[in-house]
Amino acid sequence: MASFERPSLNVNSRTWIALGICATSLFILALRLWHLQIINGHVFRDRSENNRLRMVYVPPPRGLILDRNGEVLVRNRPSFNVDFVTEDSPNPEQTVRALAEITGQPADELLEKLTRQGKRRMYEPKLLLRDVSRDLVAKIAAQRYRLPGVIISVVPARDYIHADLAAHAIGYIREISGEQLKNPLYAGYRMGDVIGQYGVEARYERYLQGERGSQAVIVNAAGNKIGEAYSHLALPGSDVMLTIDRRLQEVADRALSGKKGAVVAMDPNTGDILAMAAAPRFSPSIFTTEVSKETWADLVDAKGNKLTNRATQGAYPPGSVFKMFVAAAALSEGVVTPQERFFCPGYTMFGTRKFRCHKHSGHGSVDLFEAVVQSCDVYFYTVGQRLGVDRIYQYAHDLFEFGEPAGLGIGDESAGLIPSTAWKAKYFRNPEDKKWYPGETLPVSIGQGAITTTPLQIVRGLSALVNGGIVVKPRIVRKVVASDGRVLEETPSAPDIVRKLDLDPDIMDRLKRSMVGVVEDKRGTGHRAALPEINGISVGGKTGTAQVASRESGIKDEDHAWFAGYAPADNPKIVVAALVENGGHGGAEAAPIAQDVFAAYFGIPDPPPEEKNAPKKKPTPVPEVNRE
Amino acid sequence: MNSLDKRLFAHFDWGLAIFTLIIPLFGLVVLFSAGYDAEGTVNLFGLFNVNFPSAACLKQAVYLLVGLIVMGIGIAIPTQTFYRYSFLLYGIALSLLVTVAGFGVVVNGSRRWLDLGGFNLQPSEFMKLGLIVTMARVLSKRTPRDGVSYRFSELLVPGLFIAIPMVLIAKQPDLGTALSLGIVGVGQILFVGVRRKTLLAIVLAVLALAYPAWEMLHDYQQRRILVLLDPESDPKGSGYHITQSKIAVGSGELFGKGYRQGTQTQLEFLPEHTTDFVFSVLAEEWGFVGCLFLLGLFFGLFVSMLRIASRTRDLFSCLLAFGFTMQIFAHVVINIGMVIGLMPVVGIPLPLVSYGGSSMLSILFGLGIVQGVSMRRLQYRPS
Repeated sequence: MASFERPSLNVNSRTWIALGICATSLFILALRLWHLQIINGHVFRDRSENNRLRMVYVPPPRGLILDRNGEVLVRNRPSFNVDFVTEDSPNPEQTVRALAEITGQPADELLEKLTRQGKRRMYEPKLLLRDVSRDLVAKIAAQRYRLPGVIISVVPARDYIHADLAAHAIGYIREISGEQLKNPLYAGYRMGDVIGQYGVEARYERYLQGERGSQAVIVNAAGNKIGEAYSHLALPGSDVMLTIDRRLQEVADRALSGKKGAVVAMDPNTGDILAMAAAPRFSPSIFTTEVSKETWADLVDAKGNKLTNRATQGAYPPGSVFKMFVAAAALSEGVVTPQERFFCPGYTMFGTRKFRCHKHSGHGSVDLFEAVVQSCDVYFYTVGQRLGVDRIYQYAHDLFEFGEPAGLGIGDESAGLIPSTAWKAKYFRNPEDKKWYPGETLPVSIGQGAITTTPLQIVRGLSALVNGGIVVKPRIVRKVVASDGRVLEETPSAPDIVRKLDLDPDIMDRLKRSMVGVVEDKRGTGHRAALPEINGISVGGKTGTAQVASRESGIKDEDHAWFAGYAPADNPKIVVAALVENGGHGGAEAAPIAQDVFAAYFGIPDPPPEEKNAPKKKPTPVPEVNRE
Repeated sequence: MNSLDKRLFAHFDWGLAIFTLIIPLFGLVVLFSAGYDAEGTVNLFGLFNVNFPSAACLKQAVYLLVGLIVMGIGIAIPTQTFYRYSFLLYGIALSLLVTVAGFGVVVNGSRRWLDLGGFNLQPSEFMKLGLIVTMARVLSKRTPRDGVSYRFSELLVPGLFIAIPMVLIAKQPDLGTALSLGIVGVGQILFVGVRRKTLLAIVLAVLALAYPAWEMLHDYQQRRILVLLDPESDPKGSGYHITQSKIAVGSGELFGKGYRQGTQTQLEFLPEHTTDFVFSVLAEEWGFVGCLFLLGLFFGLFVSMLRIASRTRDLFSCLLAFGFTMQIFAHVVINIGMVIGLMPVVGIPLPLVSYGGSSMLSILFGLGIVQGVSMRRLQYRPS
């Protein structure tokens, strides 16, 4: 250890000196403390008592929500909240009662709100009323002398420019709940913060929220502001630009008014959702103030929950729309050729059971094209049997992604259901029920029975059928732009590809031609989706009329009307699915909705009313399954 | 023989161990009050939420536990290992400082941190360790030629070792840390001894350089120093901290306003009252008595550490123990001096008390090394 030399220095004396320096320094500090705390202590004590500081949190303005063209859909407006600083009131309860008298609110309710915020410090304003009217503000101001400690704060509130436009996609904001506060996801939020609870508002909460500012205000003993100690500015939230087109959305929303159902329009090449409407809708603005019990009951009414986004959460039997996917499977698997003809006498026999075609008089001899155009059930019963349920499942689920949530990312989505032998074996307890009976394949072939899909899944599936076999992931946000202009998130122009389908282009062409036939052929079931001929834009699609049996009563409800289509037929730019719950015939109820959306998309003015209401050439077919 | 065998524990310094534990525990009590937020839920390192009304206190408790492990590592590493790798340590710290100057993350206007994907590394904390160890080696290897005190020419090399990191850190800008680094390094030199004439010359030179140095300071740094002379001149700007801090400390009087009753600090007059200004919370709530108690604890810690330094058998260990004593001492004096208005607001933490993981870990590691020096003091007998 040559390097560790014995100190030749007198270490002992040096450490004593060091200790002396330490002691002296600490002694100086102690002297100074003596000076501050003992000699001048009372002076500082007085100053500290007059030194009243109020910490005011400044809520950040929430980011805007824009449509795909930058048009503002949701912005902020100033709103008035009534806050209460208990410290400044000699008798808080009395003050609250006086306030209740002025506002007409039950005093107990206000007092309860106050106790709920009881953990908050005395000097911190506690929220009593949110978003009150200007009149009320004036009344409160006039009676200030009766209301010590009551203050009016101006905070940004949501301003829904287009009322309930795209309500399900945009969602709503509401005060953070106690449950949410405990969730690590919401670390950093405080009681009383307003956060996105649904739709894009919830999904992009972190972006939209911005950063809370704070202001330390010095107040005198009377509680009046005499200065500002320090402040941190609030950082406005980032703006979220949707893929939704305001014009299309309006058309879709309007088309559903008074109905129950959903409309989804998507760019099949990118997955951009151009419109997503669900009805009945709610008005997001009702959440800015307190939601009364009656309002809430109305919202979640068992018969038509307004909060349900029927485009993504509603699972419905797709009816004949599903035939396109069965046809794709049948042609790809070679179980049928496009030219092969079947005779439809209006029913088919399976063992002793009779399965009806929706056209009881029969379609006669049909090939694939005619079967699609006229939606012949007998043709698809036969083809479906040749495929077997598992091959249908393989195409519908494994290729076209039915039975899996579409992955839009805003709120829970329904997965829908594509039946198969494996599904049945798994989900039924009774051994008898576990077995798949060949007869059950027949309804599945025409989109009936246990099968369910969401309108968004239909749009995604049809897009893959018409865009050359690319299953795209639907998306609803184009970009997120921070308040300083930085782009925080931007979706690329290329689609998010879930899967590329290896399907024969000839088969897809043939299916597309038959779908154009559905709209343009004189026997077609979907001709009401057609655009006026002069525009030269042809439309393809498929109708569906899905039978529903009310589960409780067993009584047959009105059928669900479906139409899923795309345009222009030769180079699809938009795919639309329209569903009207218990609407009746797809061709009569859903196809016109899709037509409205197509017309709006291509900028075609509404056809004159008489033309629109012209009597149909024939009643739209009703697919039907009868078991005898 | 380097491992922690039984003989080592014969020289375990209980005094040091006790003060090492009591000060941060007392700190936790103060932090509980300083960081009190009734509604607070604490998110522990992004993993889970805990219902606890003081985030600073709870997180600091975790840092303390981790710090005690780090201290154990400091004890376990043999003293000669530090000797052997001192230059390497210094080199790494220096290159980190250079890196931070280029790629550091800017927080509150200072470029002090390196973002290592998830946690931020503060290279100046490394440098504190690197400098103490390196100076101990340089000075123990090159003792004054006359055996008593250094002459000017002998100080050039050690002087450079101190000056380079000081300049880099002062540029960040982190004046407080640069200052404490200087105090530690110069303290180690003075401990060995400097000729009176040389010392006088250096002091004069420093005074002569003071004006250009003043010109190099940032505006806000100049203002902080000026404000110290007359805080009331700018009560809402630079003087705000000092004024409010003095009100907090002074209003504590003899016995304080009572635990969690400090209006100044509880009412958030003082930003940073869990970190750099935590002493004002103590002073306000515990009064003069509480302040003397903490000063007493620190004095006890210094006595233990210096006693270990005086009992060493070799100059390296001695300078190591002394260096870490100086480090804590400098921090305590600068921090408390700042809070009670004797020093400019430079923003350095109160060791073992201020909320903060980096400082806690680095101080406890240093204390571990000093404990190790104590335990091994009989091992390094000169041959």
